[in-house]
Amino acid sequence: MEEPRIGVYICWCGTNIAKMVDVEYIAEEVKKLQNVVVSRNYKYMCSDPGQDLIIKDIKENNLNRIVVSACSPRIHELTFRKALENAGLNSYLFEMANIREHVSWVHTDRKEATEKAKSLVMAAIKRVGFHESLAKRSVEINPASLIIGGGIAGLTAALEIADTGKQVYLIEKKNSLGGNLAFVDLSFPDLSSVKQILDPKIEKINKHPNIKVFLNTEIDEIFGYVGNFETKLFENTKSEETLKFGNIIVATGLKPFDPSVIPEYAYGKLPDVITSIEFEKMLKEGIIRTKAGKEPKNIGIIHCVGSRNNKYNEYCSRTCCATGLKYANQLRDALPEAGIYELYGDMRVFGKGCEEFYTQTSRKDIVFMMFDQRNDLPKIKANTSKKDFNMIIEINEKLSGEELNIPVDMVVLMVGAQAQDNAKDISHAVGISMCGNAFYIERHPKLDPVATTTDGVYIVGSCQGPKGIIDSVSQTRAAVSRILGTIAKGSVQVEVTTAVVNEDVCCGCQTCISVCPYTAISFNPEKNISVVNEVLCKGCGTCGSACPTGAIRSRHFTDLQILSQIEGIMSLELEEV
Amino acid sequence: MTTENKEKPKLKMAVYWGAACGGCCVSVLDVHEKLFDVVAAADLVFWPIALDFKYKDLEAMPDGHIDVTLFNGAIRNSENKYIAMLLRQKSKIMVAYGSCAHMGGIPGLANFSTKEELFKRVYFESESTLNSEKILPEPDFKVKEGDLELPVFYNDVMPLNKVVCVDYYLPGCPPQTERLLEVFMAIVNGSELPSKKSVIGAYDKTQCDECERKKTDNKKIKKFYRPWEIEDDGETCFLEQGVICMGPATRGGCGVRCIKGNAPCRGCYGPPPDSPDPGAKMMSAVATMIDANEDVEIDKIIEDIVDPAGTFYRFSLPGSIIRRKL
Repeated sequence: MEEPRIGVYICWCGTNIAKMVDVEYIAEEVKKLQNVVVSRNYKYMCSDPGQDLIIKDIKENNLNRIVVSACSPRIHELTFRKALENAGLNSYLFEMANIREHVSWVHTDRKEATEKAKSLVMAAIKRVGFHESLAKRSVEINPASLIIGGGIAGLTAALEIADTGKQVYLIEKKNSLGGNLAFVDLSFPDLSSVKQILDPKIEKINKHPNIKVFLNTEIDEIFGYVGNFETKLFENTKSEETLKFGNIIVATGLKPFDPSVIPEYAYGKLPDVITSIEFEKMLKEGIIRTKAGKEPKNIGIIHCVGSRNNKYNEYCSRTCCATGLKYANQLRDALPEAGIYELYGDMRVFGKGCEEFYTQTSRKDIVFMMFDQRNDLPKIKANTSKKDFNMIIEINEKLSGEELNIPVDMVVLMVGAQAQDNAKDISHAVGISMCGNAFYIERHPKLDPVATTTDGVYIVGSCQGPKGIIDSVSQTRAAVSRILGTIAKGSVQVEVTTAVVNEDVCCGCQTCISVCPYTAISFNPEKNISVVNEVLCKGCGTCGSACPTGAIRSRHFTDLQILSQIEGIMSLELEEV
Repeated sequence: MTTENKEKPKLKMAVYWGAACGGCCVSVLDVHEKLFDVVAAADLVFWPIALDFKYKDLEAMPDGHIDVTLFNGAIRNSENKYIAMLLRQKSKIMVAYGSCAHMGGIPGLANFSTKEELFKRVYFESESTLNSEKILPEPDFKVKEGDLELPVFYNDVMPLNKVVCVDYYLPGCPPQTERLLEVFMAIVNGSELPSKKSVIGAYDKTQCDECERKKTDNKKIKKFYRPWEIEDDGETCFLEQGVICMGPATRGGCGVRCIKGNAPCRGCYGPPPDSPDPGAKMMSAVATMIDANEDVEIDKIIEDIVDPAGTFYRFSLPGSIIRRKL
């Protein structure tokens, strides 16, 4: 290996770092270290003059390794890597020491903060000497897309992509398109017809030359990587078809919560306690009747069924409150004389036009009652007296503090949302992760909300977390624009800090295979070794730490690099002892 | 073997032991009738377990006088260190022979205790000890007849390479005699030797490469067993049966003897190249095999690993990154 010639740059970040860390002292100190050729401090390393400083030094002093000690690498690692590239140096011959978030912002003693910053810089200097050049790689993109799920999100995605002239394969496990919305009558907050949203889309899709729909079809396994995926489909378990595509949108939606597990609500025991899904069907048919065929005089609508309660699901299902209000509106129109009771924990109707919708609804002679959603659910009981109602809801009304009995003929349970039963199978097939509630995890909750940690796989709609039509469609269009962007570009850069198997050492124990979250490792029985697919590999390092043999090396995170980094930190302490 | 070749001068060979059990010296004797070939090709100029030599004989030798020294045992006290340094000075090739010289070996497990803890246990507490005067070994002790000296007992057990420069490592507890003969004959025949500081008499690939047991990627462990607690089917990978086997973290070369004898590998051959800490590697690997997600369940499963430190670092503690208990 060439002798390292290291340039070290300590950033002031204005006063952000300099007020708590003696940047000049550190720059002077590290100058004494072996292999450090240049050591400077500068007000803003990330500025153009700051970057030019590095570029000039690389050229004039023949530097081959760079350490910038500044903010988090999450913010400016790419900036400085680009600077190295501009100077003709491989961008991986760079290491960043974070002395802002990790030092100046979190400490109050200038002397101690300076010493800590110094040891972090020493660690970076020790490490960077072992950095290796890594070559960038890119793969071509197949312009076809696979969309899993034929609900509002999947339908939107299919049309958006297909209308640009690209091929779309739309997979739906049921025998018809439309998803959960196909059973919904009106949408909130404008009470517009869902059918008018859905039907034209389905009709267009069925006729679209660029969309191939597969009904009654489930995804088993998907092979490949971004730009080059492949799967075999078994439509109706009859014909087999191999599809090739470059991107995947997972739009598998949600399933309703089953309220029979909540004893207080007696669902399944009392015939006129029904779910919002069942009630929606009545609304769609236009006939609201009890099981005995009578028109209900008093109706209770209970919110948060299965949601926001640690016994069931901790999260908010987001659409049920507004849907409950929608029912109150529809009931008031259908049964002008009926008593309508909204029983809620908290009223959560946020979003454009939704608060106004709540206010309008509350003026329609609807009774709102609040209960303790976490500790004290209302109880639905059969009416045993001969009076003219078949059930009583017992509620401890939170705002008045009174115990109330409400006579009702029908109770609608606003059931929450849950991940699909086959969420895990899909996550395995496409190689994405699930959170504890089995909803899929986005790459970054704020900065990259529709991508996943597997390149080329996007999550939209309620499979990522419960949401309504507006959010689902927004997410879908975001994912579509990402996909069309990569298709337009024709190729994508793939991760270069991947894992690599040393064939001379790998013994074929296969410990690495099951730990890989990206199914990037397979076993080659002829050579008796594990093989990493470098396009699938994201360089997470799990296999490297799992490998008992030390045969797997994580590029840019080798044992040598990490141990020398530790040595850099420790050596400072040893000097002081 | 060319005993007739009169022109070829005989090799001068030494065998010495530091903190060791004696098994390594016995393994040299285990060459059986091949011993005649060995002595035909080499003069044993220093081997206290078999032949009567004194320190002064060694001290009197000129530097570089010995061609090959097989040093077995770890460095536990000042005597081990002194002779190791002396042998280094007198030898052209210094071989760390066996697990203890290689990585610290079984005596190295003493690094999970301090010197004080060891002395307390051995000289005060052990069931067979009567020491009412609480006498401890003293390096210098005056008696009527004169001054007595004992080696200084170190706090740390060290592998050989912590005190002298080692040319080759011949691992094993003890090294397999076939491997020793191969190495010996290579030296005698003047074959080109591997680069300095490398491991000889062992393969780069680990035990699993030779192991004939069936291996899959299904290493999911719900319960750890000690070998006698399961009905071993003799065919399935030990790890897949929940028995900790150091095989994947251990070089081949022994002929997978333990595994062929239906006992899991204990790791005496040490790690393959570029793997400085086989104990940590194996712990990390085993951690990925635990088939549970809840903390409580994971804790319960881990509890079944009896003596984890001794299991994973059985032969390698002093040579590992952690070296000892702090």
